[in-house]
Amino acid sequence: MRSMPRHLPHVLLLGLIAALAVVSVHVGIRFTPPSEVWRALMEGGADQTALIVNTLRVPRTLIAIVVGGGLGLSGLLLQTASRNPLAEPGLLGINAGAGLAVVLLVVFAGNSSLSLIAGAACLGALLCALLVFSLAFSAGGIASPSYLLLAGVTVAALLSSGIQIVMVADERTMEELIFWLSGGFADRDVDLLYLAAPAIALCGLFSMLLHPMLDALLTDDTTAQTLGVPVLKTRLAALVLAALLAGVGVSVAGPVAFIGLVAPHLARLSGRQSHRDLIPLSLLTGSTLALAADIAARFVIYPSEAPVGVLLAAVGVPVLLYLLQRKRVGGAA
Amino acid sequence: MKSAGPIHATTASASRRPIVLALCMAVLCLLGFASIALGSSGMPLNRVVLAILGTGERSDTIIIWSLRMPRLLMAGLSGVALALAGFILQRATRNELASPSVLGIVDGAALGVMCFLLMFSNESNALVVSIMWQPLAAALGALLFAGVVILLALRTDAPPLRTILYGVALGALAKAGVTLFLVDGPVHRASQAAMWLAGSVYQARWADVDVLAIVLTVFVPLAFLLSRRMDQLMLDEISAQASGLSVRSTQLMLFGLAALLTAAAVSFAGAIGFVGLIAPHIARLILPGRAGTQMLAAALVGAAMVMAADMMVRTLFAPLEVPAGAVTAVIGAPYFLFILIRAGRIHA
Repeated sequence: MRSMPRHLPHVLLLGLIAALAVVSVHVGIRFTPPSEVWRALMEGGADQTALIVNTLRVPRTLIAIVVGGGLGLSGLLLQTASRNPLAEPGLLGINAGAGLAVVLLVVFAGNSSLSLIAGAACLGALLCALLVFSLAFSAGGIASPSYLLLAGVTVAALLSSGIQIVMVADERTMEELIFWLSGGFADRDVDLLYLAAPAIALCGLFSMLLHPMLDALLTDDTTAQTLGVPVLKTRLAALVLAALLAGVGVSVAGPVAFIGLVAPHLARLSGRQSHRDLIPLSLLTGSTLALAADIAARFVIYPSEAPVGVLLAAVGVPVLLYLLQRKRVGGAA
Repeated sequence: MKSAGPIHATTASASRRPIVLALCMAVLCLLGFASIALGSSGMPLNRVVLAILGTGERSDTIIIWSLRMPRLLMAGLSGVALALAGFILQRATRNELASPSVLGIVDGAALGVMCFLLMFSNESNALVVSIMWQPLAAALGALLFAGVVILLALRTDAPPLRTILYGVALGALAKAGVTLFLVDGPVHRASQAAMWLAGSVYQARWADVDVLAIVLTVFVPLAFLLSRRMDQLMLDEISAQASGLSVRSTQLMLFGLAALLTAAAVSFAGAIGFVGLIAPHIARLILPGRAGTQMLAAALVGAAMVMAADMMVRTLFAPLEVPAGAVTAVIGAPYFLFILIRAGRIHA
């Protein structure tokens, strides 16, 4: 059997993203014909169509692509670092950590610069990732997927009640942040992209540098050590990168769950095992998922718009249930 | 999983039982009295007593009998319901991490209520049917999600921990459904629902208390009737079967009962999390013994927990209305992590 060209899945996904992006700038409450979209994109202008296309649809498309990619890669890195097919920044509470950090920043420092918000989100994500992993580690070793997930879900619940209390206590913050906290790609601050896109690209680059070591992590610790891979350092590096990716994503789009869970599993469907392929593929599937969910969100309860998190949960929960049944997850207790 | 054996622990605690239960009752009464006396307008104790007896000033009587009393009773009754539901689930799944919120039953009930509110509201946001039906909608949602969780667990013969993860996953799905209804529904209803979803007895009325009390008088005796079966379930599966217990059908029955109890609490007080998890643990600590005794203790502890949480949000955060569920979560989540770690260590 002739193997498929190495870059075929990459090219196919890129094509899919391009096609979805084209769809995304055309559809919404009203369909905008291609000629008008083209005119708006090329000439700009201040008429309604141009405004809708240039200030609503183009930004949300770009944000979905960038943030979705980052979350997809974050999920892959978490799954590899923990050898746990269920790991994901949303379920592990990392998104909630970033969310609480931003809420606290806004409460105590008022209006903050975009870079400060992104920084706070990353710090929150990082601290929360370390907390959840050390909790799971002290419970049953990192290899026990159920404990990691349960610890993550509980920390997420804890942090969300923290957010809730802060928001009730400070009405101004609530008005400012309640929309952001619902998670989604529409009506976001597009300026953050100038910060987020390079940051996510950089994290992707660093993960690519780690790819041989990440591959070794997929074996057991002893084998990896025999191969000369510093297991603990690699894991920590992957964890930090994953947390940064999630933090950046949250600062732009708010907490968005399940992309990080589903994207790496879809990427693995290509049959590739090596992280040299899985890293770009997870990024691309993450973008595809985010974009597709964002488009679908405009239609499921037309004419109002559904939160994108609802659609992602509708896809993500069945995947989670399937993974729970397939793997010997939770067999430990 | 470590737990006090139901048989040998009984004799040791039998003499302690009346004392512990009396202490629980005393704490509960004290809490109840304090939470009636405390509030936005402070009231000296003598006036409180007079008002409770109905011979005090008119304004005091109104404050206490139409505002604080229903709220207190709602807190207590929903605490009882959640604690019993948690206790039953922990026995049915043989897992001390089980609780109505972790297993997704709370979210299922919430989804049922949201569907109900949306389907039976007219243009001006008023219900077109009696509020009496709301617990039924909650019950349907809770039963549906509890049913899916236990079917998934039984079908794949899942170990206890995986059952919980099924619950977590389905809970996420129900939550997504609730969010969808929140967004799609009328705005003013959404903010009300958000408050209710966070778990609060803020808007308790006598009518709600009555319905909850009626529901509980049906289900609580049922739970105690099943307590012997719950003791048998503590044995391993083969011994339980040898003792004449039909394990599967008992588990199904217990899940159903827990779902109904959860629904009763959630439909009025919202998603007050972690009470169902912690109250049975405290009960086990203070009163090891048979299921019946522990259930009694768990019910008292659960009532006290929600009452205390409600009192905290009324006094510490006043005049803000922080949902009581946020307080129980802040206290309960670390405790859950603690037993999670302990369970993991014991296993390792």
